[in-house]
Amino acid sequence: MTSFTSDRLPTVDILRPLLLRAVTLFGVLIAVLVLLAVSLGATGFSDRILEATVGEEIRGLRSSLAQTIRDPDELEKTLQTRAAELRASYGLDRPWWVRIPGLVTKVLTLDLGDARSIRSYSGSTRIADIILERLPNTILLLTTSTILVALIGIAAGVWLSTRVGSRIDRFVTYLAAISNALPTWWLGILLILLFTYQLRWLPSEGMYSVPPPEGGLARFLDLLWHSVLPVMTLVLVSIGPSIYSIRTLTLNIAQEDHVNVARAKGMPERIVLWRHILRVAAPPIVTGLILGLAGSLGGSILVETIFNWNGMGRLYYDAIAGTPDEGLIVALTFMFTLIYVLARLLLEFLYLVLDPRVRYEETTGRPA
Amino acid sequence: MRRLPDVLLELWRSAPGKAGIVLFALLLLTAGYVLLTFPTDFGSARWSNPALWGDYPKTAPPVWTNSFGANRPEHRILEARTPTRTDGNVQTYVFPLDYQASQPPTFLSFSVGDVTYQANPPTLEAVLVRPDGGEVRLYQTVIGGPQPGETAPYRRNFQEPLRVQLDTEPGAVEAAYNFLTEQYDPNLDFDDVGRQLPFALFGKVVDGGFVVLKGEYRLEARVRVDNPQDSVGLVRFVVGGAVYGLMGTDGQGRDLAQGLLFGLPIALAIGLAVSTLSTLLGTALGLLSGYAGGRTDLFIQRAADIVNNVPTLPLLIFMVFVLGPKLWLILLMLILFSWPGLTILVRSMVLGLRSSPEVEAARALGSSTGRIITYHLFPHIAPFIFATLIFSAPGAILAEAGLSFIGLGDPTLPTWGQILEQGFRTGAVFNGYWWWIIPPGLLIVITALAFMLISLGLEPIINPRLRREA
Repeated sequence: MTSFTSDRLPTVDILRPLLLRAVTLFGVLIAVLVLLAVSLGATGFSDRILEATVGEEIRGLRSSLAQTIRDPDELEKTLQTRAAELRASYGLDRPWWVRIPGLVTKVLTLDLGDARSIRSYSGSTRIADIILERLPNTILLLTTSTILVALIGIAAGVWLSTRVGSRIDRFVTYLAAISNALPTWWLGILLILLFTYQLRWLPSEGMYSVPPPEGGLARFLDLLWHSVLPVMTLVLVSIGPSIYSIRTLTLNIAQEDHVNVARAKGMPERIVLWRHILRVAAPPIVTGLILGLAGSLGGSILVETIFNWNGMGRLYYDAIAGTPDEGLIVALTFMFTLIYVLARLLLEFLYLVLDPRVRYEETTGRPA
Repeated sequence: MRRLPDVLLELWRSAPGKAGIVLFALLLLTAGYVLLTFPTDFGSARWSNPALWGDYPKTAPPVWTNSFGANRPEHRILEARTPTRTDGNVQTYVFPLDYQASQPPTFLSFSVGDVTYQANPPTLEAVLVRPDGGEVRLYQTVIGGPQPGETAPYRRNFQEPLRVQLDTEPGAVEAAYNFLTEQYDPNLDFDDVGRQLPFALFGKVVDGGFVVLKGEYRLEARVRVDNPQDSVGLVRFVVGGAVYGLMGTDGQGRDLAQGLLFGLPIALAIGLAVSTLSTLLGTALGLLSGYAGGRTDLFIQRAADIVNNVPTLPLLIFMVFVLGPKLWLILLMLILFSWPGLTILVRSMVLGLRSSPEVEAARALGSSTGRIITYHLFPHIAPFIFATLIFSAPGAILAEAGLSFIGLGDPTLPTWGQILEQGFRTGAVFNGYWWWIIPPGLLIVITALAFMLISLGLEPIINPRLRREA
């Protein structure tokens, strides 16, 4: 294996495998959309949304027509004709499976009408407004914790690979196993009990203090302060497995011939580590991140719930509690799939940039 | 080639494997005990039936917390079916009560059932006799009289006992006030007595405030009958404790020990059912995909690729929300989302094995496809599949708990996730009701850990490359 520094990134070679992955992810998106549309249609939910829209328009029409048409019978008749016209234009006179393409478009554009009782901060009842307002908060939590897990995992994993078999090594092995058995949200509750109610160090609720502090920096620090516990929960629950897998990876690569050769040539240990071990380990590390993404996404939904973090995950909880809000739940499911697919594409791109083999070989498979 | 029995034997020799097996066996035994002793409709008929839990203290910590200092009253249920003594036409039910706690009871209730009378309904009286000699009449009533068209003997309150919450009973407030003003402090505020009646009944007045009066109390139910044949078949006083049982109670007064115990077989069933079925499905599709090749292979691999890349929790939430929170449905969804990983792996293993000398020889000898798969492919991958089965169980348990936690649990079957959800929703975290929050989560962890330990023990045996990912 030669030095990678002379490697340029031939864009065309990267695009091809990336496109292949993109096709799968696009398939995922389509499959989810169809699943959503079919469920909406088959359960009669889309009918209810549309009927509500028709009812709304008819109510509006009634109050405006009541000014001009005095005869109540005639008014009723006019309204009924109008309602029938509206139903036909929305496709309510046809069975739901005919309307699947329309439904898919509706979900795609988040055109799902109004939420029942939840409002956006600006006061809008439109589902699209509510979701888009919450989106950045979810992404903030998810990216912060994912990046922290990756950084800590690499640093600790590499360090640990030099002391395999030690007490701390065995501790991390068990920690990784326990993490798999630990519900993220329960860990979050424990941290609240400890840090908020026992030690009274950290806030357990919301993203900002009430009232939020004035000024950009103070606001940012307040956000940071409130994000400590949720981020800590997400990091704690996936850090064990992350360190463990990176430690094992580094260990395996460190035993390979090219590393021995590099050491035999008298290369400084720093260069051996960066160029000959970490450079090779980089693609599988990204694979680990890819595989962990779905888990973190699920974890963040529940963690937002626990900490009343105003993201889309908390919105799920609020939409299910009380009178369930179907429109919001459909929109959220789609948005989470979209975030997932986009994040995956980003990581796949990173993977391809990091792994030269994919560019030179025909295969798109990656090490398990 | 390693056979399954050898693998199990080797597993027993490894430290985590042994720990996992022992833990798992303990859980199985407990689950078996629960299945034998609990009614099958425990969830709907008992746990979710508020009427059954009315006589339990709400959010009471476990009894053993008393050993850390505080001397809070224990829960007492005083019950009798026959009178202690009969004087003429008065039947008296006597319940001695040695009260030594440093706090008053949380509530006091009185129930009467199985009343039979010949002509005139009996009169009931509930009385508290205090260590200082005071006698407070808490309650007095007459059982409902005969209805038109009804014939003797008349039966009352057989299905549902007549239940009176004594600590909010106006008569009891007045009686307690009269006694305390006479005996202790004439300036006592009437509303104070009404607000903290249990304290007034089980206390004395010192400097205008209540102090618990420890000593021998007596609760008595006096039944005045018209006919010696008239009878009251059930008299019950409940002196509400501030601590309850081994695990305490939740916000509705439910005994958490029962709910937590009942959750164990459900959790194990969820873990085992989902992991077994999804492993079966994944293996079958993987074998088919790898061995059949061609279009079948392509189709299965495309499908696996898509399902494998779906964000599971949002879709689980959506599907369960749309189709309704039923446990079998949750399990089905979990199975449908969890097969692809194994299918892809089994396929690649089969591809490697397909051209092995063993399989080629079998094919040359004219073995059928089914025979080759059963005898020449499956045994090679069996230990690996077994490891996957064990490894995937915690995921299913955690997924169900997560769904329950956001409110999509099956309401007819109380699971640990649901107990936690109810606690979280009603502010148990905020109020620090740790006995409601920590045990259910801990049980989830312990159950999942049993599987993880076995998995950890299996790892080096089955496949050095089999590592946890995700």
